[in-house]
Amino acid sequence: MTETKKYAKKLNVIDNVIVADSLRNQVIHNNTLGYAFEVCLDYYRGQFLTVIDEFQITIDGEVVPTETIKFCINGKEFNPIEFEHCYSEFWQAIEPATINVFKPGGLKAGEHNVELHLIFRSPYMPIGSNHEYMAIDNCGKRTLSLVEEE
Amino acid sequence: MTKIKTGVILFSFGTLFLNKKLDLEGVIRTAAEIGAEGYDIVAAQSIPTYPYVSDEFVEFVNECKSKYGIGPMCYSAQLDRGMLKERDLTEEEALQQAITSVISASKLGCTVMREQYLLSPASLEKLAPYAEAYNVRVGIEIHNPESPITPAILEYLEVIERTKSKFIGFIPDFGAFATGPNKPIWDRALSKGATTEQLKRCAQLKYDEVSKEDALKIMDSEIEKTPALLDVINSFYGFVQFKKDISKELEGLKRIMPYVFSMHGKFHYVDENLHEPAIPYEEIIPVIEASGYDGYIVTEYEDEGGYDAIEQCHRHIAMIKKLTS
Repeated sequence: MTETKKYAKKLNVIDNVIVADSLRNQVIHNNTLGYAFEVCLDYYRGQFLTVIDEFQITIDGEVVPTETIKFCINGKEFNPIEFEHCYSEFWQAIEPATINVFKPGGLKAGEHNVELHLIFRSPYMPIGSNHEYMAIDNCGKRTLSLVEEE
Repeated sequence: MTKIKTGVILFSFGTLFLNKKLDLEGVIRTAAEIGAEGYDIVAAQSIPTYPYVSDEFVEFVNECKSKYGIGPMCYSAQLDRGMLKERDLTEEEALQQAITSVISASKLGCTVMREQYLLSPASLEKLAPYAEAYNVRVGIEIHNPESPITPAILEYLEVIERTKSKFIGFIPDFGAFATGPNKPIWDRALSKGATTEQLKRCAQLKYDEVSKEDALKIMDSEIEKTPALLDVINSFYGFVQFKKDISKELEGLKRIMPYVFSMHGKFHYVDENLHEPAIPYEEIIPVIEASGYDGYIVTEYEDEGGYDAIEQCHRHIAMIKKLTS
């Protein structure tokens, strides 16, 4: 879902879009099937998921296949290719979304570099006449230590 | 004798809220503590079940009202015309979004709603019967670079005067009457290497009504030396425009005051002498008072430049009270 680079405004309302201490392996029926972490909006208001134009996760320098991602808000789970249909799914400004990644075996213990590339349109700020809106840079990276579950 | 009321738009404490220094109750409590008699809520920031309002949220708001004495007065809606991936909302879809906002505003107990200019004048006219039925007066925000005399706003005025509906009108933002550069932009440019002399030259070009294109040409070599000046010129010709003489804009304000439901007291910085250098409150307030307006002036801190938001809003309310006493 990444596209050509263009100017995107960075608000820096919050320190880091990737939530500290949020990285965990996902254990389902006693099997580690992947991992999860949380991301936030760096914006003063929430957004419908349809405004997301670019979305990519990178872990330890490797791009995560889109197919393996679930983006979870409001008790529901969406793959990034479904965002464009989510015109009634509202991501609140102060509620993190959980990113679940399917990766049997999960991540190794220790530190991991987590990167989020997320660009969205501010849907009430037109900057041109042809469905052009102010692009907002909601990207970030953070080194997270895998939190070991008890 | 009119009595202008003071309010706060909760957005003013957005940085504290988004960084979880204050929860919504804390934000409301703070607004009451600094002298607000009511508040304005940016729905997409503060309402968990946006664009709908849950019974639980109504209960929460009512509890806060009984604890702190203030409740929501204005529902600040947004018109997300660009929310769909491939195309803008149609007029019909935009109208439905606005109707949803009216219903939510009503459920929350707001009798005023701020709507944005992406709702067309024709759709505002179609919204009027819903506004009346739900007892929510819908005001189109007049935000810089628009002003009460710009063509886009006059189109709404035509609809309002022709329909004679008491439920559609305006919510002017004081930023539309700016007469100078604001302090956060100025200070940010200084911190990025611009000199006061360069900034004064940029401001003078705007005062002299030189076009943006020409201003960029004139300052070209300076911008090369000091790239921060490009942001400055973009701002001076963008959403924080200013001009020396705002007498025509104030005449326009006088004309529309009968249709004004609430006012956003936009500010960037109020100094210790209770003065906002960029927006001439001292000139604007008398026009409002003379109109017999008895609604709210809602403190709206732009929250740029890293000043203490609570202290800034406190000063702003004190300034409004001083100027209206």
